[in-house]
Parts: sequence; C-alpha cells; structure tokens
Amino acid sequence: MNDDRVKELLRAAIPRPGDAELKRDLWPDMRRRLDERRLRVSAFDWVLIAAILASMMLFPQAALTLLYHL
Amino acid sequence: MPLNFAPVPRTTPSGPSRLERFAAGDIGAFESLFREFQGQIYRWVVRIVRDRGVAEDLTVEAFWRIYSSRARFDPTGNFSAWARRIACNLAIDALKRQRPEVALLVEPSAEPAADPAVSRETREKIARAFRELPAKLRAAATLALIEEQQYEEIAAALGISVNGVKSRVFRAVRILRKKLQRMGIEP
Repeated sequence: MNDDRVKELLRAAIPRPGDAELKRDLWPDMRRRLDERRLRVSAFDWVLIAAILASMMLFPQAALTLLYHL
Repeated sequence: MPLNFAPVPRTTPSGPSRLERFAAGDIGAFESLFREFQGQIYRWVVRIVRDRGVAEDLTVEAFWRIYSSRARFDPTGNFSAWARRIACNLAIDALKRQRPEVALLVEPSAEPAADPAVSRETREKIARAFRELPAKLRAAATLALIEEQQYEEIAAALGISVNGVKSRVFRAVRILRKKLQRMGIEP
C-alpha cells in the first residue's frame, strides 16, 4: 500500500465537514467568562487576607502600623 | 455564508490603534477583535477537533487566553496569526484528551466520498486508526490531507516550520499505513 492509497482511504473514511461556519455569536459566552474571572478572588489573595487577619488578632497593635502603610 | 455579528468600528480617527488599545487592556478593542476573528478561529478549531460544541468552547477559551496574554502581544504584530496559533495549540490539547472510540460529530459534506468502493466497515476501521494517532500528527494530517490547507498556512497555525508540517504528515501516513496493514486493509 503506497502513501497515495493511504491518503485516498483516509479521505474516504473521514470526509470534510459540510459546513465549518460558526452559527452563533460567541461574544456573550466570552463576556460571561470575563465577568466570572473578574469577580473571582485568587487563592493567593485569600491566603494574604487570612494572614493579615491572623496577624491583627495576634498583634492588635500592628493594626495601626498596617493602617499607616495603607 | 458567514454570519455578520456587527463588528465594532475598528479604529478611532486619532489615538492608539485597536491592537495597541487591546494590548493595554481595553475591553472594547478586545470585543472588536473577538467579533472580527471568532469565525476564523472557530473554523480552524472545528477542522481539527471536528465537534461543533467543543470547537465553540475552545474558541472562547482561546480568546480568554489571548486576553490574558495581551500584555505579551506586540501591537505591530499579526493578531490573526497569533490568535490562530493559540487556538490550534488548544485544539491539539483537546485531541490529546479525546478517546479514540469517540466518533467524529461534524456532519460530512454533501460531496460524495472519494472512494465509494471502500466499505463502511473499512471506513470505520480507518477512522478509528486515524483517531489513535498522536494528537500533533493527527492535527497536521487532518489539515493537510483532509482539509487540504496550504502547508504554509498550517505551519503558521501550528507555530512550526513548513518542513515540520511535512514531517508530521509523513509520519502520520507512515503510522497509519502500518496500522491499516495490521488490520488487514489492503487496496
């Protein structure tokens, strides 16, 4: 079996799609995806928030220093 | 005929170009690019994964990655080629996750099969053997042999050289020929 025959068999077995055009606007899906990501807080941020809260509970006087730096 | 999704005006009379605004994170510029290129990106992806639903999801995922990497995009560069490359890499990743027993879901064209003498059972065996090929070889072979795209275009989309495409297609055909011979399929 030569390469050309393999190609012929392949074309016979896997026809080209009839219509490869996009049927709907995907922008609403994209917009939803962007909005979801914007609202999501990363794991790193949650760890940072937890660390700040824990340090403020352990060392309440540090809160003033933190507020000064904000 | 492609649908017209009413693209947003491309440029402003003065000021930064649309690509510069996109690279700076302007969502309006991104929307404009999305609306202009979603059809083209989808067409490349659906040709590789051959499943409309998966291709739609991958198109959105590709544009999400495009938006996330906007800071690395050179506004003087070719957005279309860059986007296509990201989308095709995602499509290849999707092929890697696809099980070989999953049949193609895109409806075939109305054109008659290239060789009507090939029985249905043989066609199914060939299709199955093709789906068992490594994803990178399968993507290159699909685009070159079934979709009959230009090697230069495939190379740009896959982010490899033309010789790289030729090599992948050659390897795909060689592996497929051995598989078909093992299955007892002879001309």
